[in-house]
Amino acid sequence: MIRLAVRLTLNGGREAVTRLVITAVAVALGVGLLLAVLAADNAIGVQNLRTGWFQATGSTGSNVTRSINGTSRTQVSSRTPPASAPKASPEWWLSSYDEYNNQQIERVDVAALGPHAPVPPGITRLPGPGQYYASPALAALLRSVPAGQLADRYPGRLIGTIGPAALQSPGSLVIFVGRTPAQVARAPGAVRVTSIAIGFAPPDSGEGIAAVLGIVAIALLFPVLVFISTATRLAAARREQRFAAMRLAGATPRQVSVVATVEAAIAAIAGTAAGFALFFGFRSELARIPFSGQPFFPDDLRLSLPTIVVVALGIPVAAAVVAHVALRRVRISPLGTARRVRARRPSAWRTLPLLAGIGELIYFTAVGHPTTVKGQLWAYLGGGALTVAGLVIAGPWLTMAGSALLAGRASRPAGLLAARRLADDPKGAFRAISGLILAVFTATVAVGIISSMTENHALQTFGAAGRHILIAGLTGPRNLQDPNAAPGGVTVPASVTGRLLAVPGVSSVVVSHVPPAGTTADNLVDCGQLARLPVLGSCAPGASVAAFDLQPVGSTPGTRRTRVWPTVSISAARVDRLPASGLLVGTNGATATLEQARTIIETSFPLQASPVTVFDSQGQQLLAAWEQLAEVVILAGLPIAGCSLAVGVIAGLTDRKRPFSLLRLAGAPVGLLRRVVALESSVPLLAVAIVSAALGLLVAELFLNSQLGLNLRPPGPAYYGYVAGGVLLTLGIIAATFPLLSRVTGPEAARSE
Amino acid sequence: MNGAGMNEGYVNENFVNEGCVLEAREIVKSFGSTPALRGASVAVGRGEILAVMGPSGSGKSTLLHCLAGILVPDGGQVLFGGQRLDTMKENPRSALRRDKFGFVFQFGQLVPELTAEENVALPLLLAGARRAEAVRKARAWFPRLGLDGLERNRSGEMSGGEAQRVALARGLVADPEVLFADEPTGSLDSLAGERVMDLLTTAARDQGTTVVLVTHEPRVAAYADREIIVRDGVVTTTPAAPAAAAAAASGTGRGGS
Repeated sequence: MIRLAVRLTLNGGREAVTRLVITAVAVALGVGLLLAVLAADNAIGVQNLRTGWFQATGSTGSNVTRSINGTSRTQVSSRTPPASAPKASPEWWLSSYDEYNNQQIERVDVAALGPHAPVPPGITRLPGPGQYYASPALAALLRSVPAGQLADRYPGRLIGTIGPAALQSPGSLVIFVGRTPAQVARAPGAVRVTSIAIGFAPPDSGEGIAAVLGIVAIALLFPVLVFISTATRLAAARREQRFAAMRLAGATPRQVSVVATVEAAIAAIAGTAAGFALFFGFRSELARIPFSGQPFFPDDLRLSLPTIVVVALGIPVAAAVVAHVALRRVRISPLGTARRVRARRPSAWRTLPLLAGIGELIYFTAVGHPTTVKGQLWAYLGGGALTVAGLVIAGPWLTMAGSALLAGRASRPAGLLAARRLADDPKGAFRAISGLILAVFTATVAVGIISSMTENHALQTFGAAGRHILIAGLTGPRNLQDPNAAPGGVTVPASVTGRLLAVPGVSSVVVSHVPPAGTTADNLVDCGQLARLPVLGSCAPGASVAAFDLQPVGSTPGTRRTRVWPTVSISAARVDRLPASGLLVGTNGATATLEQARTIIETSFPLQASPVTVFDSQGQQLLAAWEQLAEVVILAGLPIAGCSLAVGVIAGLTDRKRPFSLLRLAGAPVGLLRRVVALESSVPLLAVAIVSAALGLLVAELFLNSQLGLNLRPPGPAYYGYVAGGVLLTLGIIAATFPLLSRVTGPEAARSE
Repeated sequence: MNGAGMNEGYVNENFVNEGCVLEAREIVKSFGSTPALRGASVAVGRGEILAVMGPSGSGKSTLLHCLAGILVPDGGQVLFGGQRLDTMKENPRSALRRDKFGFVFQFGQLVPELTAEENVALPLLLAGARRAEAVRKARAWFPRLGLDGLERNRSGEMSGGEAQRVALARGLVADPEVLFADEPTGSLDSLAGERVMDLLTTAARDQGTTVVLVTHEPRVAAYADREIIVRDGVVTTTPAAPAAAAAAASGTGRGGS
């Protein structure tokens, strides 16, 4: 029987072969996308593993005294790294984050203390004093921008480029700067290391990344799986008619079932094989997509053996099972689907979970959130999950209600035909787009929350000027006898402030000072200087010196701009003689100005933390990366749903080939049929995208409001760009089926039936 | 009109005074290397019911499709009201089919998602009529064709005969000049087939609609004013064999010529 089934599938005439090819192509696309999602998910983890070396283990773990924006100079890993050089000499190691034009540069100043000092990944030997290695992207940047804005920060000359082993991504900006031991030893935050760990993720990133990647994977996998399941059901009605005819001819239900299962499995096996070929064929192109803000190395997009086995076996098996289950109707009656009757209508009860989910979130907004973290997690995750599940459950009912409304009001034949088709099979119509809900909803919640947090925090704290003020924390040399002693400040020569003020676009320079012993303030500031940067707050009337907080993003937003700093009873003249703890430079926000000022500060105070603005803090960059990831989910989710819709359109066309072609014979223009197809696919797509996005924003608002006390700010233009781009791409995919429409409904089609 | 080169039974003299509405002159049509029509000629008078008979594969459906402007012949001419159909572009031909012609086929012509009344109203909607008006006109056909109470049913909720009567209503609702019926009773039992043919011929005569009816059943052809037979791609009135002629003569229809 299996042999007969294989022969029927492969030699069953042109229609059978066409159906086989179309199903296989659709499955191939689905499998290709599935592998891309799995590999990208894996690649983000692999990328993360390559960042572990940056935080090398130190034997003298000194903590940072003045960290800015959480940009701590060094974090000593608690993990025991695998030894890369068993009898290595130690070296001084100072890792820090530098920046150029909002791009993060990972900078390590190293000084070998012996011939066998450990060498970090990506280079063959340590750079000596006056030498540096740069990543290819940074080397290109150093060549392309004026030295006064970047290259002057790194003393010496470039002696080579850093290999991929040390780079998170091909675009990573990394530099190893060679120093003398004396220079690095006294730098705050420097550590002596004897080994450099490779192949582990930074300890503070693990759970967060795993959780986010898990959600991203689910948000993308769901539409892909829906697509594959739609593809395997392609032209089900036609196939069922054929099987019913076989039953009439005397085939037993078991024989028909074997034929159906074999046919589905053959298409799925061919599609899965082609999907693997598609993935490996386009891996390099896929690697260029910056899922998390950075492109991948092609080798990062690798598939684990279990993944390969599960996909290679799982898809054909699942397709066979789906085909087997879907044919139960045909097995019952040899008349098969020859008689079409109305399917059971979805009930309004389906909306209950959705209403419950939204109700729960509104409840917590009204009465306040739970006090424990666990309680909050359950409340918001539970509410969000209930809402999105509710949306999927309520979808068929909403589709039916909407299309019934549309059918009642449609005055043109295209609208009537499309609305009746949707109302006739709301479950089928909704199935193709259900995968989209999770992608759009999850991504919109993420974008809504992240952009509101970023904007609220930064803007409420500083206003737009927050992007223009450069803040540098300055720390005096370390006491080598007592590494844990608090370091003092530094002296800021007048020439430095003069050079800064001479940079076109720099408007003011404010110096903060280390308070004298016995003063409780963290920093002191001359009120005369502070008045030149009013956005940072002000002194009380008549005060000459105030206590000041260098931390640019405070824990309580909304207070910085109007803040009146507490007066400290000390004379301005005395403050000016105290060592400096920081520099605040007001600029016009232009990249050239900011980078030139940053370079002057870094060259004047070497081995200090790089100056930052509010917006280029590491935390903000991480949020921005997550936001981009969320937007990529939307951009990828929409076309995947579009593929499902296109397959649905093709299936619908094949099923309605005869009435459509007879309509054309009777004079209906092909444009009318195009409008029918466009309406019945794009209306639910757009409706679901809008409803999912709106619900996502509502959930984000409820979360922000009750949990963080913030109001939702509309997502940035990038979000709308991604949504619009995704929708256009999807409509393009649907439009790609139109030539098929003209062909399958032509006069020849009706004649040959 | 029945000049040299024209096939036997080219025109019905009884309808000449009414004017010839549709005419095929020496049309030739092949599918690949297989010839379907080899110079078929026929003229149909206004209000005439013409039965096109012939054995399977003789070219009768191809002749109907050429007369209806669905297929373009490879040679010869097709005229509707003096207009050349064979040289017309696809869009005006589609418009002509929509506005002047009606169609009834053997099966599968109802759009499954639409109700019976919406299916009947479809040609009017396609012609740009308002929905309420189109549905009102469509409903008027239900009692005439014995379809009362089925207005809201779908095709799957009706018997074959009922569905075919709905298709007949759809073919006639826009008051076409010519109704093309290709084996309209082919999928029905004899009783249901007779009912459909009774209704078809009565409605067509009431409206003065010309009917071109393709069938291989002599009992169905007997409803027509005239029969032609297509054999080997050529029109003739001569039956293929005495048995077929006898069968045609014993037809139960009222309109035999």
